Amino acid sequence: MAAEESGSKIVEALHELNVQTVVPLPQVGPFDFSITNAVIYLWVGAIVVFGLFFWAARRARKEPGRLQTLAEILIGFATGHLCGQLGEKGKKYYYFILTLFTFIMVTNLIGLIPKPIALKPYTPTANINVTFAFAICTFVLTQYLGIKHHRAGYLKEFMTPPGVPKALARPLNILFVPVELMGAVFKPLSLSVRLFANTIAGHLIILVMLGLLLEFSGLIVIPTFIFVVIMMAFEVFVAFIQAYIFSLLSTVYIETAIYGSH
Amino acid sequence: MDAGTAANLAAGIGMGLATIGPGIGIGYLTGHATEAIARQPEASGDIRTVFIIGMALTEALALYAFVVAIILLFVV
Repeated sequence: MAAEESGSKIVEALHELNVQTVVPLPQVGPFDFSITNAVIYLWVGAIVVFGLFFWAARRARKEPGRLQTLAEILIGFATGHLCGQLGEKGKKYYYFILTLFTFIMVTNLIGLIPKPIALKPYTPTANINVTFAFAICTFVLTQYLGIKHHRAGYLKEFMTPPGVPKALARPLNILFVPVELMGAVFKPLSLSVRLFANTIAGHLIILVMLGLLLEFSGLIVIPTFIFVVIMMAFEVFVAFIQAYIFSLLSTVYIETAIYGSH
Repeated sequence: MDAGTAANLAAGIGMGLATIGPGIGIGYLTGHATEAIARQPEASGDIRTVFIIGMALTEALALYAFVVAIILLFVV
């Protein structure tokens, strides 16, 4: 890459996007179980989410404190706003969506907090493996729900929609089945790539601008700095919106799995 | 032109081209959302939700190209 030859501070700033091993562990087959900074920040996110709801639940009072208010807002938002369309059959999965939403938002926000190099800063959601794991949770759940609620009828979801004349439906299946199967596979793929790309794009812009800030001298520093601040504020908004989109689309997929798309 | 240069060039040009479509899309989206809110201010909450979802979905198209550009820059 060209930028590497100039050995600039921009490249130095981009090192935040590298996965670094903290505790090396032996490799088992194709899997590397080493504890990396991504794993650690995921743990931090999990502890924050768990701690928030755990403490809010243990200390639930009539007059909510700060933590309880936050937990109540999150639960109200997820169950009321996000899961409104899931209905009676999907009530069990409200908390899956709530967890997904809170966890993605918290990991996004943890990545945005500026950290010293010694802490090996990293954004877990700026890694395609992490977001794909989230998406696979949704994928497995939707397939399970589809089979549970429709049994063998679930296969009909992949075939020509009803209302097409029988003589035409059979040959049209050659066209419909691969397309529908591809759609099912691409759902989690697009979910994960959307979250991953949004996070990494924001971080790249901020990091490149910070690198430029170190390279520049003179008055041009001021607009660059203002731009970084604005980008940072925008990224906080994006962190929320992406968590919202991810959980909302998961809700839509779960809903179509339970009630059928046609 | 060797492969690395070609990849860098492709990343730049591709990223630029990929922003055109979503740019038009987000422009349409914002325009119509503004129009809708101006016509029916009482429905602005619902319109905003749909607008944000639509914007995220449109924006994702440019981001797919961004991922490809990143792959071209760092992997190829």
